[in-house]
Amino acid sequence: MVELKNVDVHYVDGVKGGVDALNDVNMRINDGEFVFIVGDSGAGKSTLLKLLTREIQPTSGRVFVNGYNLSKLRNRKLPYFRRSLGMIFQDFRLIPDMTVYENVAFVLRSTDKSKKYIRQRVPYVLDLVKLRDKAKAYPGQLSGGEQQRVAIARAFATDPKIIIADEPTGNIDPKLSYEIVELLLDINECGTTVIMVTHNHDLVQYFGGRVINLREGGIAFDGYIEGKGD
Amino acid sequence: MRMSNFNYLVRRGVGSVFKNAMMSLASFFVLLVSLILIGCSVLVAMDVGVVMSNIEEKNEILVYVYGDVEQSVLSHISDVLSTNPNSLSTVFYSKEQAWEDYRNSNSEYMELYDYLPYNPIPHTYRVTVKDISKISETADEFRTVEGVEKVTAPQDFASVLVNIRSTLSVIAGALLAAMIITSVIIIYNSIRSSVFARAKEINIMKVVGATNSFVKIPFFIEGMFIGAAAGAASWFVTKIIYEALVQLFRDDLTIWQIFGLSSMIQFEDVTWYMLAANCILGTLLGAIGTIISTGKYVKV
Repeated sequence: MVELKNVDVHYVDGVKGGVDALNDVNMRINDGEFVFIVGDSGAGKSTLLKLLTREIQPTSGRVFVNGYNLSKLRNRKLPYFRRSLGMIFQDFRLIPDMTVYENVAFVLRSTDKSKKYIRQRVPYVLDLVKLRDKAKAYPGQLSGGEQQRVAIARAFATDPKIIIADEPTGNIDPKLSYEIVELLLDINECGTTVIMVTHNHDLVQYFGGRVINLREGGIAFDGYIEGKGD
Repeated sequence: MRMSNFNYLVRRGVGSVFKNAMMSLASFFVLLVSLILIGCSVLVAMDVGVVMSNIEEKNEILVYVYGDVEQSVLSHISDVLSTNPNSLSTVFYSKEQAWEDYRNSNSEYMELYDYLPYNPIPHTYRVTVKDISKISETADEFRTVEGVEKVTAPQDFASVLVNIRSTLSVIAGALLAAMIITSVIIIYNSIRSSVFARAKEINIMKVVGATNSFVKIPFFIEGMFIGAAAGAASWFVTKIIYEALVQLFRDDLTIWQIFGLSSMIQFEDVTWYMLAANCILGTLLGAIGTIISTGKYVKV
């Protein structure tokens, strides 16, 4: 569960006197939801994601994610909080000198999972994203869509409560974007909350569901829209 | 942390040494030179210490006693001299023994000595000191003892020795500090370049919730591996250099034997200590460089 209560984020800038990135934002995302977050550049999307991963702290207000009060979270507990999240990035962020298998296994090792668990879990998540036959390939040998599927497998490998996808379709073929969202919907079907930030309005209109539209640091719209697809 | 994951991190760390081969080699050689200089300095300092001790042992305070003192006064003087904190050993040389020795060594005037109405040589104590820098104070203390007529001590020579020793200590200390700082800086740079080369990996580790120690372990392994390897190699090179030095003093410079350089420390006597010390110091320098580097550039 994600909850923001009266959150303000103010970036200090010595020259301009500072920027209000978020103003009095209140939001609640329940477990198991699939939410699109949309908005123009500078609307506050990146700031919101940084708040949710505790890269930054709010200037005022409170942020709760997966039962953690992020305003009070001590730095030494931060890794354990982050294990409850799965992150997907626009630029995939795969390690180029590791195979697909190693890229996924790497995050499990980083969270100190056993060898046996890794041997079972990695093939399972690669099956899920239909890339088991590419387990030995390197990221450079894959298409953009395939690389993003590896990134999804990696995010899902640790079995997080929430997956946060930051423009996951931004660097791939528009046709493949639909596949990526479908994959995220499949993961959501398993009970994982998915928060997807996107610029792609076509995708949002196609799939529908809960949409939060940010504008000038505030929430301009938070509601459900009907999908045009299917 | 699980053993299998620790092994994985060790493999990543060692792999990184070869991946950043140029920087690792540069660190290795700078560390190697530093450790050789440190090792040689320590051995030479130990040898200088041996030489100084040899010279110092030859320095003694001579305490002359009035000729007509009672046996009880002699016992008191003996007690005071031998219990002084700076006394290493005290040897009594009786006036009778001294007179006998003097007569025997100048036997051509034997008849002449019989005309002397009394033995003109006083009782003497020869006191060797533990700390040559305090020889002057010790001599002054002896002068105040009842029954003591005169005290002589080689104070000027002692102060020269003390000066030589303290100058050598300062030079050795400065050299050591410079070498250590240089080594730490070079390791720091090596690890920093490794951190930058693996920035993506570190970022992913942070995002997925790897702990601080998990992220840093491979860098520690890398720094300590380079340090330990340079330590072992420096031991070998130090051995060759030092043994050649010992041979040189033993064969060609017999003048040095006067100062006790013939009793230079043999490398085989300290070989295991040197190996252990070099490896530990190398590993430690590697670890310190890594601590500074990762502390600055790996913030989780």
